[in-house]
Amino acid sequence: MKEKTKRTIAFYSMISPWFVVFIIFGLYPMLYGLYLSFTNYYGFNIKHLKWMGLQNYHKAFTDSDAMYSLGRTLYVTAFNVPLSVAIGLGLALLLNRQVRGVSVYRTIFYLPSIVPALASVIMWKVIFSSNNGILNGILSTVGLPEVNWLGYDYATTSLLIMLLWGAGGGVLINLAGLKGIPRDLYEAASIDGATPIKRTIYLTLPLMTPVIFFNVIMGIIGSLQIYMQPILLNGTELLARPIQPNYLYFVHAFQQIFAFQRFAYGMALLWILFLAILALSVVVFTTSKYWVHYETDQE
Amino acid sequence: MNTQSQTQKGSVPLYAALILFSAVFLFPMYLAVVNAFSAWNTTPGLLPAGFHPENFKYAVTMIDFWKFGRNSLILLVITLGTSTFTSGLVGYAFARIAAPGRNALFMIILSTMMLPGIITQIPQYILFHKYGLLDTFWPWVFWGIGGNAFYIFLYRQFFASVPKELEEAARIDGCSILRTYWSIFLPMSLPVVATVAILNFQGSWGDFIGPFMFLKQDHYPLATALSTISYTQNGSKLVLQSVTTAAALLILLPVLIIYFLGQRFIVEGIVTTGVKG
Repeated sequence: MKEKTKRTIAFYSMISPWFVVFIIFGLYPMLYGLYLSFTNYYGFNIKHLKWMGLQNYHKAFTDSDAMYSLGRTLYVTAFNVPLSVAIGLGLALLLNRQVRGVSVYRTIFYLPSIVPALASVIMWKVIFSSNNGILNGILSTVGLPEVNWLGYDYATTSLLIMLLWGAGGGVLINLAGLKGIPRDLYEAASIDGATPIKRTIYLTLPLMTPVIFFNVIMGIIGSLQIYMQPILLNGTELLARPIQPNYLYFVHAFQQIFAFQRFAYGMALLWILFLAILALSVVVFTTSKYWVHYETDQE
Repeated sequence: MNTQSQTQKGSVPLYAALILFSAVFLFPMYLAVVNAFSAWNTTPGLLPAGFHPENFKYAVTMIDFWKFGRNSLILLVITLGTSTFTSGLVGYAFARIAAPGRNALFMIILSTMMLPGIITQIPQYILFHKYGLLDTFWPWVFWGIGGNAFYIFLYRQFFASVPKELEEAARIDGCSILRTYWSIFLPMSLPVVATVAILNFQGSWGDFIGPFMFLKQDHYPLATALSTISYTQNGSKLVLQSVTTAAALLILLPVLIIYFLGQRFIVEGIVTTGVKG
């Protein structure tokens, strides 16, 4: 056998576990779901599906709940992404300054991001609760007026606070990026008389743009798919409808499917967002050659 | 901030900022601990209302905690035992073996990383229902064997950065491709194996949506059980906050232990692969 044929066989047999599972449990269900989104499937009529064309997709754009939830999702994303990227980078910049005990601080900042979402929601719920809540207890102890943290006016703020608590998870990748900046660049800048603030603005930030860019894109993708935190923050069960301002796009889709059995319409809603995310991903990967650095050349 | 050179040790304002931020990040965790030890039906504050470690006892006795814990363990063992290794194998193939179609397939893997899980999970639910796989652990076996796009990516990044000479030396010594992977590359990738295992652990232990969709209550893992069952006093609808928080801390504990044990691997793994964990 030729060396090349041998290698091809080796390659395909080694990736076969992924490939077979991907076809059966990834691609097939995905296309099946896409097909269902063009039908009238509502949970009981799997044997008598009717082709509805683009009707579900059309409905999504005229459904006022869907449009409202999309607006709220964009609102949450608009605050969540820049703030969490800034927190991750800011903390990493602090830690990159030859700090004693850096691993302790790094651990503390990173810790909240590994707390299981469910445990995190339970913890924050007790803090925000208006009935026996910790935060209001503290506010009233120090003589400040109590706030209805999970009520209409503050629910989204509370959600953002809870999400941003996990923003320290970005510290690790930012630190890795900062460590990759050659030290002699800083020395050269110092000799030229640049202050630390100037060095940060004119040297560090431009060199960190790949990492920042990556974090922004991944942040947007993640943010658009938030649904469990708002549901659990206000409700006590997974099918509960969150308070109106926290009624996000994925929550809407989840509700359509699991609370109302509108599988076909729910799938259409998900596919619309998926296509939007896919368009974003294409941007990431076509530009990746400008920001991914390999130590050796690819074969 | 100080105006001295980058290599100087940090100044007082720097440490003040670090300590302040640490306090902010630890505060919710501290409050949760305070609340978990407080008496029932008190307003929890900065200091615990009494000292009631029995809340933790109630957390494990008021619901069928150990049964749910056992389910969590089963899912964990299935996922860890499969996905950690198949992902490595696939990642290796993508990094080191040139074959036609490789780049296109890798693009597919990368795009599945962007795929919202729920978009395949719902049709899967319909299909599993059709084939009688609902309320069994089989779906986790299949998903595990298929590996995980992000883990494949991590392994691939790591293996791609290994110098070519190593492989060529092995080739000259007559090692087969699989042998080269098993005896040279895999032992070298220990930080990545550990990183993937830890991420896998966190993902599996904390996942409550998957089991909610595909299993019934008897097979729920802890995370799903806690998201669907409330701790309430006999006959009342009032949720016992301190007991619920105690249960949340019990779920969190293994994650913290594993993280502390494996922390240095994660940091190393992220530096060597250059991506977020």
